[in-house]
Amino acid sequence: MYQCKDIAEEVNNYIEGDLPFLKRIGLFFHFLICSCCRNYLQQIRSTISIVTVSQPKEQDGTDLKNLAKQLQETCQEHKHEH
Amino acid sequence: MKKNSNSQFGDEQVLIKKLIEGDQLAFEYIVSEYHNLMLSIARAIVGEAFADEVVQEAWISAIKALAKFEGRSKLKTWLLHIVSNGAKSRVRRENRMVSLDEGWESVPSDKFDHTGHRLDNVYPWEEATPEALVANEQLQSIIEETFQQLPALQRAALTMYDMEGIKMEEICNILDVSASNVRVLLHRARTTLHHSIEKYQDNK
Repeated sequence: MYQCKDIAEEVNNYIEGDLPFLKRIGLFFHFLICSCCRNYLQQIRSTISIVTVSQPKEQDGTDLKNLAKQLQETCQEHKHEH
Repeated sequence: MKKNSNSQFGDEQVLIKKLIEGDQLAFEYIVSEYHNLMLSIARAIVGEAFADEVVQEAWISAIKALAKFEGRSKLKTWLLHIVSNGAKSRVRRENRMVSLDEGWESVPSDKFDHTGHRLDNVYPWEEATPEALVANEQLQSIIEETFQQLPALQRAALTMYDMEGIKMEEICNILDVSASNVRVLLHRARTTLHHSIEKYQDNK
């Protein structure tokens, strides 16, 4: 019989469908009887959606316009060499 | 869920042709589209100190090899493999090890009793679309801040899988870790972000 702590550890594998069949069924039955874990599952799903929409990025101070210009120049030089 | 790639250029072949011709807008487009993702991968593999250099070298290698790009994979995947290979070579040279456990705190055990049952109730979050929630500046900044505090490997796994929709097998090849390790990284990243959003929801 699976407990809430098992759900906390396996919730992402449950969402991704990466669990052996019997374990998946065991967790599913836990969700049926435990509203806290059902809410937790929903919260993790919301977290994924929120992060997907939010699209946080790596911190980066690169001047992208300047990098693009450098690469364009590299491309032209390379073309002339060949 | 996924970004609509190459929308300015119709399809990828047009974009590649424009790049080979030296079109300025095409260069600005690929840099704005892929530089941050390449940086994320380089940081995950080689660490902060060498990541910028590795990405710079990867860009130059990619641009020089562009004419030979045969389109057997997507341009994005091709670029990510170039940066990944560059970062892996650099790791070998620097003899650097990255731990999956870097910065990880497991689910606090004080949330459960001795039998593994939750001690506190978990309530549903407010019914709102992710778009509406993210429009909230406070939540957006909490997500940004939490994301920046994640270890680089977790950030890379989360970015590639949840935000870029890259397949698990591809992520394993790029980061050179097993699928079970990518799942661990994803679990940890999502759990940490969940904690931050949960705190925000509780304090509202």
